[in-house]
Amino acid sequence: MNPVIETRQASRHYGEGDTLVKALDEVSLQIQPGEFTAIVGPSGSGKSTLLQLVGGLDIPSEGSIHLSGKAISQMSGRELSDFRRDHIGFIFQAYNLIPVLTAAENCEYIMLLQGIAEKERRERVRAMLERVGLGGKENRRPNQLSGGQQQRVAVARAMVSQPDIILADEPTANLDSQTGADLLDMMHELNRKEGMTFVFSTHDPMIMERATRLVHLRDGRIEQEEHRA
Amino acid sequence: MLMLKLAFRNILRNRRRTILTILSMFGGYVLMSVQLSVTEGSYDQMLEFYTKDTTGHVQITTPGFVERPTLYKSVPVSEDIMSALSEQPDVQAVTARIESSALAYGDTKSFPVEVKGVHPGREADLSYLADKVSEGDYLTGDPDSDGYYEAMIGAQAARQLNLGIGDELVLISQGADGSLANDLYRISAILGQPEDAEARWVVLPLAAAQAFYVMPGEAHRLIVLGRNHHQARTLETQLQNWVDNRWPESDYRATAWQDVAKDFYRTMQADKEGGQVTLYILVFLVCIGVLNTVLMSVMERTGEFGVLKAIGTSPSRLFWLIVLETLVLAFSACVIGVLAAWPINAWFTAVGIEMAEPMEISGIVFSHYKGQLSWYVFAYPAVVILLAAVIIALMPGLRAARIVPVDAMRTL
Ligand SMILES: Nc1ncnc2c1ncn2[C@@H]1O[C@H](COP(=O)(O)OP(=O)(O)OP(=O)(O)O)[C@@H](O)[C@H]1O
Ligand SMILES: [Mg+2]
Repeated sequence: MNPVIETRQASRHYGEGDTLVKALDEVSLQIQPGEFTAIVGPSGSGKSTLLQLVGGLDIPSEGSIHLSGKAISQMSGRELSDFRRDHIGFIFQAYNLIPVLTAAENCEYIMLLQGIAEKERRERVRAMLERVGLGGKENRRPNQLSGGQQQRVAVARAMVSQPDIILADEPTANLDSQTGADLLDMMHELNRKEGMTFVFSTHDPMIMERATRLVHLRDGRIEQEEHRA
Repeated sequence: MLMLKLAFRNILRNRRRTILTILSMFGGYVLMSVQLSVTEGSYDQMLEFYTKDTTGHVQITTPGFVERPTLYKSVPVSEDIMSALSEQPDVQAVTARIESSALAYGDTKSFPVEVKGVHPGREADLSYLADKVSEGDYLTGDPDSDGYYEAMIGAQAARQLNLGIGDELVLISQGADGSLANDLYRISAILGQPEDAEARWVVLPLAAAQAFYVMPGEAHRLIVLGRNHHQARTLETQLQNWVDNRWPESDYRATAWQDVAKDFYRTMQADKEGGQVTLYILVFLVCIGVLNTVLMSVMERTGEFGVLKAIGTSPSRLFWLIVLETLVLAFSACVIGVLAAWPINAWFTAVGIEMAEPMEISGIVFSHYKGQLSWYVFAYPAVVILLAAVIIALMPGLRAARIVPVDAMRTL
């Protein structure tokens, strides 16, 4: 099978000279459709950096990133943003909701960009917010929601547009274990039933338990990989 | 719709800044509109006066006469011709003039004068000639019992020749047939003051001038007044048709005042455009202020733009979002600007402000700066403000469009 996303000897360096930080150092990674991958490693090992490169949010210092077989360095800004819109869902460590939009509007936004009909948008948003346990809070703005609630909106936003792959940077870090487990079950179900691909960066044992593949990072390099049935 | 919603919400976010931005654009709009109104109004008043006073709106002459007037190039004139011309659509008044020069004699001295032959009744209806009489009475047009025609004389000529009301004036010149022309007139009026344009004039009834210059049934210019000086070009075309029909064998020309008084017209245009410079400085200052706030609002939201971009908003959409936000501000400023500028411009048009020193041109006093209430004085500033808004939004918009999502999100 062709990988959805592939990094080829991708490096990301910050600073230069004495202060050079090799946040990622020649990492080659292929994400296959249907995987439930967890990237693990100590703080500062480069997990977030790797996810950002994989999602085309950042540009590698060396090496290349391929989305559906095409190098992102060859994509125009428009192609790249369209690719992200249609194929990738992001869940950020810091939620990153749009403050002027309500929970429902935040979820609706990507579908609006995609040109999905209003009726379907509304229905999907309602069902998804219900599913993440935010039924009745559709019209609240992010600043009227708790951190955990905001993270659930972020999860809903990432999934509601039905992308091929979801990149999640420590999605459960700010949630209580019950909510975290619920969300995780939901994602796991989407993975098994609908074949949605997930890549997590995490310290959370609950995610590691469920992962079909574990990628261990240390000092910006892949230290070890485990595949599980 | 989505972008408009986002734009509106973003605008409402920092209300104080939004209000300040709208206010500065609003201030720019109102100042521009009022200045434009007053400029247009004042020039309008001046040009309407000038054309009535001197050129009329359209003239009918022999070709080349307006560029190079000469005694020998004349057009036919009669009551019949002038009333036929008066009946043309949009024509308000018609008269005929003879223009040449002569040497005037008083008691002992001589003085070169400009001779104007005018139709007393029609001229009084059309121009301000009657208002220029500073002493004595306007021409009656008929010879007196001794057979002398009346003449009106400019103040300077009168002083030089030492002549007053009722005195005799002798003119000597050459007739159109080459003969020596000389005749005697009785002074009925003194025109204007010694420093005025008409100071060296001698104004005769048309019949007297025709007799003097030996050009019976002829004049140099047929002067036509239309509805206003703006419509002179249309009237020009219309009257040229009339002339071509009336005199198919001749090549008489209808010429609009813009061409008759070419130099004057150009000077006025240049003068007016020079006055606009202050307007553009004003717009520039407003722009700098607005650019500053727009840039600030974009910088503050760098992280958010990063997120929007990360989840699939295209660079061009982000760019348009910024342009849209700025345009919404500009549009609001224009709407309230129209509401505020309307009464001001209306007041200027109806009342005006008094000049520190009234301007007097040929005996007519301009004492007020007047406004103009036209779509132009509202639309022009709106176009400038909206255009400026787009230009202002370019730089911040491109900045937002070029954001690299991770770099941007790090600022959150
Ligand atoms: N903008 C930056 N400038 C300089 N160094 C950076 C920058 N971003 C990340 N780094 C460095 O790159 C390395 C990898 O960072 P990264 O955020 O990928 O780690 P992480 O594995 O996600 O850590 P955590 O588990 O704490 O989220 C770290 O050493 C970090 O200090
Ligand atoms: Mg991280």
